[in-house]
Amino acid sequence: MSSVASITKQLSQEQVQRYADATGDHNPIHVDEDFARATPFGGTIAHGMLTLASVSEMMAAAFGEAWLTRGRLRVRFRAPARTNDTITASAQEQAQRDGMRVLAVEVRNQADEVLISGTAEAPAA
Amino acid sequence: MPASARALLSDLPKGHEFSSTTFTLTNDDVARYLDAVEDSNAVYAESGLAPPLCAAARALGALLELLELPAGTLHTGQDLDVRGGVAIGATLTLSGRVAQRSERAGVVIISLDFELTPAGSSDAVLSGRTTVVVAGGTP
Repeated sequence: MSSVASITKQLSQEQVQRYADATGDHNPIHVDEDFARATPFGGTIAHGMLTLASVSEMMAAAFGEAWLTRGRLRVRFRAPARTNDTITASAQEQAQRDGMRVLAVEVRNQADEVLISGTAEAPAA
Repeated sequence: MPASARALLSDLPKGHEFSSTTFTLTNDDVARYLDAVEDSNAVYAESGLAPPLCAAARALGALLELLELPAGTLHTGQDLDVRGGVAIGATLTLSGRVAQRSERAGVVIISLDFELTPAGSSDAVLSGRTTVVVAGGTP
């Protein structure tokens, strides 16, 4: 049974801009520092899907092509990652069900705040 | 109900179906995505399959082209099911609908269901549900 290693990375404003350009999501909460400063967040935040990409990266590293062909993800965004946050994606084995390994996944920031939580599933073999 | 051009997301009723749209997930799309998320795993090139979130982000981008999103709209939930994998270079038809809509204290919560189906197939290779919170509903 493959292990699932956690992934840690820092999210820079430059990376958030690159993600916005790659996906076409230029919501000002992500890319306009003047706009974002006036919001309750007090500054720009990373796209939820960019933060979540660390979970998919972790699953692809552990399960390879099986994740790309039969992966499942159910997550809730609990809090945003702010630019320059260091985030860590991790997974905990929960169960095996219908031939799938079910893992509790989460992403936390450097203050140990949960940003994303949910489950990911990948084929057991 | 057919979608009008650039409909305001928060105005759409539950059950609203978006006009289907077609796009090709190019090698360049995937390369730019992987550069942006800083994922250097060789499995994508070796398998010829896109990261599921890359395909989902591309699908959401295509839906955004049909929608007007108030600034500050927040993504609060994401579900994804991969059924066979999304081939890099595939031409995909995107279908989507408003699966849920609720409104409370000026905040609208909307869930959009979407599916990606390769050209020439009737079987979706990826489906998902995206939930967003939009400020600015009826207080």
